[in-house]
Amino acid sequence: MKVQIDKRHIWLIIILKSFRPVFFLAVGLIFFYLINLPTPDGLTIQGQRAIALFVVCLILWVTGLLPLAITSLLAIVTVPLLGILDKKETYALFGNEAVFFILGAFILAGAAMHSGLSSRIALAIMNRFGNTPAGLLFSIFFLAAVLSFFMSEHAVAAMLFPIVLEIAKGLNLRPGKSNYAKSLFLALAWGCIIGGIATFLGGARVPLAVGMLKEATGINIDFFEYTVMVFPTVLIMLLIGYFWLTRFFPSDIEDIHLAKAVFERRMKEIGKTGYMEYAVGIVMIITILFWLLFGKSLGIANIAIVSVVALFILKLVRWKDIEEYVNWGIILMYGGAITLGASMEKSGAAVWIANAIIGDWTNSPLLVIAIFSLLTILLTEGMSNAAVIAILLPVGIGMASQFNMEPKLITYAIAVPAGLAFCFPMSTPANAIAVSSGYITTKDMAKAGIGMMVLAWIVFNMTARFYWPMIGVKF
Amino acid sequence: MKKTKTYLHNPGYLKVELMLKGIRVDGKVLKKANLDKCRDVANITCGLDIILPHNTWVTVPYADDFVNDSPYELIESEGKFFVRGGTESVNVSVVPTPKFYRLKTTTGISLSKIGIVHGGHVAITPATQCDFFNKEIECRYCAGNPDIKGGKGKTYSVEDVLETVEAAYKEGKAEIVYLSIGFSETPDGGIEFLKPYIKAIKKHFNTLIAVEALPPKENKWIDETYAVGADSVLYNLEIFDSKLFKDICPGRAALIGRERYLNALQYAATIFPNGTVASHLIVGLEPIESTVAGIDFLAGIGVVPILPLYKPSAGAKLSECKMPSTEVIAPVYGYLYRAVTTNKINTSWVRDISVVTTPLEGRFFVDDNARMQTFIQNFYKSKLGLKTAWSLATLRRKLRVKLDHSD
Ligand code: SF4
Repeated sequence: MKVQIDKRHIWLIIILKSFRPVFFLAVGLIFFYLINLPTPDGLTIQGQRAIALFVVCLILWVTGLLPLAITSLLAIVTVPLLGILDKKETYALFGNEAVFFILGAFILAGAAMHSGLSSRIALAIMNRFGNTPAGLLFSIFFLAAVLSFFMSEHAVAAMLFPIVLEIAKGLNLRPGKSNYAKSLFLALAWGCIIGGIATFLGGARVPLAVGMLKEATGINIDFFEYTVMVFPTVLIMLLIGYFWLTRFFPSDIEDIHLAKAVFERRMKEIGKTGYMEYAVGIVMIITILFWLLFGKSLGIANIAIVSVVALFILKLVRWKDIEEYVNWGIILMYGGAITLGASMEKSGAAVWIANAIIGDWTNSPLLVIAIFSLLTILLTEGMSNAAVIAILLPVGIGMASQFNMEPKLITYAIAVPAGLAFCFPMSTPANAIAVSSGYITTKDMAKAGIGMMVLAWIVFNMTARFYWPMIGVKF
Repeated sequence: MKKTKTYLHNPGYLKVELMLKGIRVDGKVLKKANLDKCRDVANITCGLDIILPHNTWVTVPYADDFVNDSPYELIESEGKFFVRGGTESVNVSVVPTPKFYRLKTTTGISLSKIGIVHGGHVAITPATQCDFFNKEIECRYCAGNPDIKGGKGKTYSVEDVLETVEAAYKEGKAEIVYLSIGFSETPDGGIEFLKPYIKAIKKHFNTLIAVEALPPKENKWIDETYAVGADSVLYNLEIFDSKLFKDICPGRAALIGRERYLNALQYAATIFPNGTVASHLIVGLEPIESTVAGIDFLAGIGVVPILPLYKPSAGAKLSECKMPSTEVIAPVYGYLYRAVTTNKINTSWVRDISVVTTPLEGRFFVDDNARMQTFIQNFYKSKLGLKTAWSLATLRRKLRVKLDHSD
């Protein structure tokens, strides 16, 4: 533990330190002010209270002054306390399918990582395709993306990071200087980000959005349907991403035989494929097949949890092994966000806000999608992508019902861009991990990322405009 | 009989006089003052604690041979005590020997061996060892003590020290706990060793802690000293003149160096509160001009110069050196007072030290009332003031210290 003494003027320190209590006091005052305003026409008293609570959560989620999960817990207890929903209904919302799906996905990914299966696949692919600088870059980028189809993009970034770091060191690339090193680490981060939006498994934010939609409107989006809707965006972004990387950071090395040595050493370390890896691999394949084929009828959370039980019956994991992979904070955060979203919808607050804020100035669903996706993609650069969904989706769903628009579309318009944060380390853990290597700076990332962000927004909206109608979506 | 000049009516002068010349005192008076017991760790710290007018504390030698020549005598009349000089006398209070000196720790160690009270402070040296003695580069004026010599030091446990502080605290003798350590060859200047003691004292008592240590090799240890709970720190340079420093303090010069002392003090003054970083300059071991230059330098960097008087100790290599006279010393304390006030150094921390003239007591040598400073100092000595000082020190530490758990 390092000690640091703050030598600034004591009054400055006091002012800065008193920011927190003053901030929370101000939040409390805003809450009481909103609660005690005369209830506007068209809004119920429950709706007014839901909006007051929503504003408080919005402030806390955006500023991050409380952990996201704690803000969510606050939302859960306040909903029944304010009489927005009754206790039973509120806590039942926490037991949402999405929450259990996320829990199951965490455990499955944990099992894959713990067994060594995911590292083996990663090393094998990089070893097979990484014979030239371009080949290695390509294999890292696509591998990160493909693995993020099946497990959390954060876990993929964390898993591949030590290997990429070792490659950069093995190739004697200079931190902060080497173009090739910059492109390798960005390939890792961007691969995870782009791949992470492809399925429900890439990040828990998609199940969150789907769960919020279901609780608010009763409409469901299944595993297969989601992937079909977003796959062109993923594919085009992967191609653009690779092109962008190689143009932005033209390779400054020719020979990468030293990287090969890294793969070989690592492969030797993990030895031959064991029973555990085979068994976990089989469970994973069966689970994914079930999600794709029977997701609608059996329920994706049920499939996930049954697979988890199977892992334990087969003694492929112990609770102790996977505990570190289960992010309870995210689970709490999602439960709270779903509860708050549902209470906004059920109390009529979401529709009222949509009316009040956006009113009559637009009547084109495509424009609504463009605006929400733009808002989302901008906000997600500065704050947690789950928080962006928790904030925008209730309003978005309200908007959809206002325009008689399919609420699913607005869910896509928020859930997909929420994962596309390319610019800053604080935007998403994959970026933070890449910058932590020291090989790429925040400035490099921001410079290259801004273009990607704009392109991603354009590609998503183009997909919505041209591809969605082709698969039967009606605006 | 030759009339000797006395300074009964100026507490500053009188304090210096008494420290230099001691006091004669009859055994019966001692009994009446409840002073029948002297601290038994050699006699070097043995003295009467007397409070002169204007709340001026002084520890006065009374058991040494040289006191027989002292013009001062402690007398008692109708339960009151006086210091008499010639035909005149001045009313004083005598501080009884702390009761806890008679107690023992649960492990059987006499508390008077562990803690010694000087005014409002209890001074504790948890490890009575100084490696300079082993290397024969000890400070030339230092006789060490029986525990220190030969490197066979004792280390008192945290529990022993806590029991001592508790006893002193209950008697109101631990406004400030003064922890010190001799030289040990670690880069942290001894703070790692003192850490558990500081933490334990802070955990159990609302008291302030001063640490006398050696300048650590790196400034991060100074940060650590503050963060761990020390409210004040002393790196005692002792001698300002660079050549004399090498001669008189060969160990400090060779293993730490004068530059490091000065740099560490300068840095500490930016970390600790105003008036809580101090350094001793012994008066009488170097020319007065050099002491004055030292005062200027230290006060200029925000450090409180503390000027103990050189007193020859039997057994020390410099035991033959003559003690300076009051007339020579007086202007130095006046200068000290001016220097600290000019540099706006807080004088309320270094107070009630009975073995040395404090900067604020320097006002007696320049005829300044220093009303404001005395008022503040008296406030900090009150119950409310002590609580305030402790609370402010704790709050300041809370605000300033940032712990990085990333390691
Ligand atoms: S540091 Fe110097 S004065 Fe202190 S105990 Fe050691 S030799 Fe004596």
